[in-house]
Amino acid sequence: MTDFLRPATVEDALALMAAGGVVPLAGGTDLYPATQRRALPGLVLDVTGLPGLCGITTGPAGLRIGAATTWTALARATLPPALAALQQAAVEVGGIQIQNAGTIGGNLCNASPAADGVPPLLVLDTEVELVGHRGIRRLPLSQFLTGPRQTARQADELLTALHIPASALSGQSHFRKLGARAYLVISIAMVAVRLDLQAGRISHAALAVGACSATACRLPQVESALTGAPAAEAPALIRDADVAAALSPLDDLRATAAYRSGAAAELLRRSVATLCQPVPA
Amino acid sequence: MAITINGTEVPLPEDPRMSLAEFLRDGLHLTGTKIGCNQGGCGACTVLIDGQRVLSCLTLAVQAEGREVTTIEGLSSGDDLHPLQEAFIAHDGFQCGYCTPGQICAATAMLRELAEGMPSSVTGDLSRPAPLTAEEIRERMSGNLCRCGAHNGIIAAILQVAQEGAA
Amino acid sequence: MSRVQNTLIESVRKVVGWVPERWLPGGTPDPLIGRHGAVGTQLAQLDGPQKVRGAARFAAEVPLEGLCYAALVNSPVTRGRITRLDTAAAEAAPGVLLVLTYRNMPRLGLVPLMGVTNLGAVGNSALPILQDDQIRYNGQVMALVLAETQQQADHAARLIDLSVDTAPALSDFQAAKPEARTPASILVERNEQSAGDAEAALRQAAFSTDATYTTPGHNHAAIELHGVTAHWTGNRLVLHDATQAVAPTAAALAKLFGLRREDVRVLSPFVGGGFGAKGFWDHQVLAVAAARMVDRPVRLMLSREAVFRMVGGRSPTEQRVAIGADAEGRFTALIHTGYSVMPPYSASPEQYTLGTRSLYRAQSYRFGQKHLDLDIVPNTFMRAPGESVGSFAVESAVDELAHAMDIDPVELRLRNEPETHPLTGTPFSQRALATAWRQGADRFGWDARSTMPRARRDGEWLLGMGCAAGNFPYVRMPSGALRIRLTRDGQATLSTSAQDMGMGTATVQTQHAADRLGLPLDAITFEMGDSDLPAAPVAGGSSQTVSIAAAIAAAASKLTVELLRLAGNASPLAGLRAGEVRLAEGGLVCIEDPTRRETYGDILTRAGRDEISVTETGAPPLEIFKYAMLSHSANFCEVRVSDVTGELRVTRLLGVFDVGTILNPRMAVSQLRGGMIMGLGMALSEEVLFDERSGRIMNPGLADYHIPAHLDVPEIDVTWTGIPDPRSPLGARGIGEIGITGVAAAIANAVFNATGKRLRDLPLTLDRLIGAEGA
Repeated sequence: MTDFLRPATVEDALALMAAGGVVPLAGGTDLYPATQRRALPGLVLDVTGLPGLCGITTGPAGLRIGAATTWTALARATLPPALAALQQAAVEVGGIQIQNAGTIGGNLCNASPAADGVPPLLVLDTEVELVGHRGIRRLPLSQFLTGPRQTARQADELLTALHIPASALSGQSHFRKLGARAYLVISIAMVAVRLDLQAGRISHAALAVGACSATACRLPQVESALTGAPAAEAPALIRDADVAAALSPLDDLRATAAYRSGAAAELLRRSVATLCQPVPA
Repeated sequence: MAITINGTEVPLPEDPRMSLAEFLRDGLHLTGTKIGCNQGGCGACTVLIDGQRVLSCLTLAVQAEGREVTTIEGLSSGDDLHPLQEAFIAHDGFQCGYCTPGQICAATAMLRELAEGMPSSVTGDLSRPAPLTAEEIRERMSGNLCRCGAHNGIIAAILQVAQEGAA
Repeated sequence: MSRVQNTLIESVRKVVGWVPERWLPGGTPDPLIGRHGAVGTQLAQLDGPQKVRGAARFAAEVPLEGLCYAALVNSPVTRGRITRLDTAAAEAAPGVLLVLTYRNMPRLGLVPLMGVTNLGAVGNSALPILQDDQIRYNGQVMALVLAETQQQADHAARLIDLSVDTAPALSDFQAAKPEARTPASILVERNEQSAGDAEAALRQAAFSTDATYTTPGHNHAAIELHGVTAHWTGNRLVLHDATQAVAPTAAALAKLFGLRREDVRVLSPFVGGGFGAKGFWDHQVLAVAAARMVDRPVRLMLSREAVFRMVGGRSPTEQRVAIGADAEGRFTALIHTGYSVMPPYSASPEQYTLGTRSLYRAQSYRFGQKHLDLDIVPNTFMRAPGESVGSFAVESAVDELAHAMDIDPVELRLRNEPETHPLTGTPFSQRALATAWRQGADRFGWDARSTMPRARRDGEWLLGMGCAAGNFPYVRMPSGALRIRLTRDGQATLSTSAQDMGMGTATVQTQHAADRLGLPLDAITFEMGDSDLPAAPVAGGSSQTVSIAAAIAAAASKLTVELLRLAGNASPLAGLRAGEVRLAEGGLVCIEDPTRRETYGDILTRAGRDEISVTETGAPPLEIFKYAMLSHSANFCEVRVSDVTGELRVTRLLGVFDVGTILNPRMAVSQLRGGMIMGLGMALSEEVLFDERSGRIMNPGLADYHIPAHLDVPEIDVTWTGIPDPRSPLGARGIGEIGITGVAAAIANAVFNATGKRLRDLPLTLDRLIGAEGA
């Protein structure tokens, strides 16, 4: 009964995955609830022992986050202000027990439309690194996420790391989410915003919304409206209609579609306003 | 191929599908660790692994290989209760007692997280140490559900221990 | 049956009404009322140390040699017939001992439904358990798999191949309304009751409100999952169960499996939260049957999803409340009617109109409930069944009327306080709701409330205050038995099969016994949670405290008689009768001449006895027919609502309770607060999401069914009037359920005061707050 494997190298992991029917396991925080059963399905491959999958490193090309880095490790790391949104998201993922076990890579692979990690990573132009026996490939996160609970990962591939290009490490970022109760488990709407400010104007804007469409997405139209705008006027440039047009909000158990897109627009305005506030000297 | 549980080394279970919660409860009869949902939704199964709080229902026992697990049974020694255990009694921080071990294990780790300056989502400024307020403790304990409604007593108990520790 | 029941109960009321007070229980107030002894002190829960160490052993934690584990397969469809049930792969899987389906399940009868005409019964469902190929609701058990380990059982359960021929199902609330049934009675009350022509009075009223309120299904969501460990030794059965009904469960199992009652033992020393859910369901029967078939102990713990699918919750309701008032605000008409779900195989009528019937004086009334027969898991009683959701409707309506009339909502309620029960004219045993209102308004700072909505603001946050009353009937169960065993060393052990889920029953009754028997607290041992002990009824309806108190009082009286007989002529007590002595200071004391006294130890020693033991049952609860006996609450709430996002935060909550004597203030606060927090959840987030097309619950887990988390719960203020009920044992009334009543309405009314938006549908979610029309 060898249902559980904990390979020590990526090569071993890939060899095992090549046989098929393998479910990669990291923190387990999504996998267990998704199975709705106490026993896990099939062969389980624990990736948390693989070298290079945990931790954050910086280089000239940018920042690399190992896929099995936990939310807690992210929250505690010293990172550029551009990653503040990701760190804010990290402390809002479930309870702290979940943050201690759950990983950023697992969050992406499970591809919930309400995955907390996605909007902050989208505004960082994140690329994902997939390793398979055919080699390594990199994909923009937006192409990796193909639909609710669907990704471009092949069954024999492993998500090993996230890469944030140096060009996206500038500016400041902010994350907000809204849920049905004070303590948020699953949100109705969430946003991440990263802005570069130069001489009181926005020189670069990246905005993303989660939980309001099949997969979280960037809002290019709103971003271009903000680019070049004076910081003080920026929040008012985010119009409900533009936000709604970019999203296809879900009319589901937790809120109506109209409420969702309205809420997303409001959260965006707030995040932009927070980032545009003059920093007290 | 062993786990250290409350200071004692125990061999791993034969069946790798066994969660740590099931291993503790069914395998070792350490039933102080509770199962309330088996889905990571309630916090009743909280234990400490290498000092960090985790949900034992979402952890396979084999994943804890070579690590130190502390359960509610490992917090007190003999008749001496842990200060949090004393405080839970003093503040009526429970009724049925089912979520209680998870609350206490979570609080144990939380006090250390606070001391280490780890921020939470209600900490306004993530770069400064979190203030010791009821609101901070509520946020940090929100992964542990209680249905009897002992919330006020639980927070009061933890706050008291936190303040005594900080003093 | 119901009509016969109505006639029967109304005759008892009539007869008891004629009987002189002093002949009835409570006719002479309990002498312990007003005594300052152990009762009224802040004793901590006696089992606290066990609980904080994780040493309290729950039902699914009992270690047994040879234990095997069960997993269940539940129906994914609502109605239909099993066409294929292939268990071969499961049976061949490693470790599997048994696959139990309708084909090999022992043929068993139906479990009698609990009800007021069958108080010993415990059934929540009158449906057959694994007896045929029919599927009657979504989530019904299709098979049980038993294996050496839980992992093997879970794995094998997935290998069962089930095909179903689906049939049309009734699962749409609105579609079922035309076929609604009108039952003759709701629990002990006649269902449809009216006085005067309420509809006409409503039309003619100077001021009126007439609206529909809805509440969704709720789930008890106790943190402990339903679990049992079943164990046969020959023809004797031991069941470690998480149940609120210890002795009744033993009786039901004995009957079902053809055993003598004394050959069934149910043990339930700890229950991890019940709130009405920890009763008799299919899982006990399945585990017991499986254990017998493999002749090994069996553990069956339901998954969280199975708890949602197999253990019913609170029914959704749609309620109409209409109130007419004259120019002074006196009610001229009060109407409360509506619909809830109660399939014929369920036991719980969700009595949402009952509380309203005694809450206000009006010139005319109309009350009545209709039941919808949907194909659902049988709904059941959940904390304050009826009053919890009924109070949301009626207390929202009173607030609507107060606003329409521009009268303070507390004042409007005070103007309509009844002197006697509004429908029957029966006197209240004790009712100080008006006192609670005044006390609460003062404590809360109610005068800071603006009468105009949207008047108080803090940035984007709108502030508001609201209030609402709650009530819950006093219930004392007949036939609760209790044994007192007194030993020569002055120690007393009290034993009853009743259950303590953390309410503090054992602690409070230890306090009571100390006072009743005149012994120190450490001389008392209170045993419970074992069906081998004298049989107590179900722990429900907030009845247990007074039911046990009455049994202790009765047993103490019997003990007095027995002790006097043992004392004999050589005792200083010689010649005294039971009425002439009291139990105090470790013995019997003559009331007239306290120098004539003797300790229990001396009496027993002289008689050559090591101990004395008496068992007695509390007097029949006839007081509930003579008086209108209810607890009341006045709830006050302050909220903040974001004008932009609709986020709602309850910042302050106060409950003032008129619940008779408070037996242990520390635990009373916890119980009442606990109820209020469940009310908070009901107001803010709790909702069973039911797919009306498929008949399936869509959020069967704690990540999706949102009970309040720490961050949702503010510091909650609880206080009471402290006035004893002269007609109840110890002057007390149960406090397990009153806490939840009125809370949701107080919050919704505060939201209206903050925002001008009247939300008549629970829960008060942020999209509803932003979407709603202003007043």
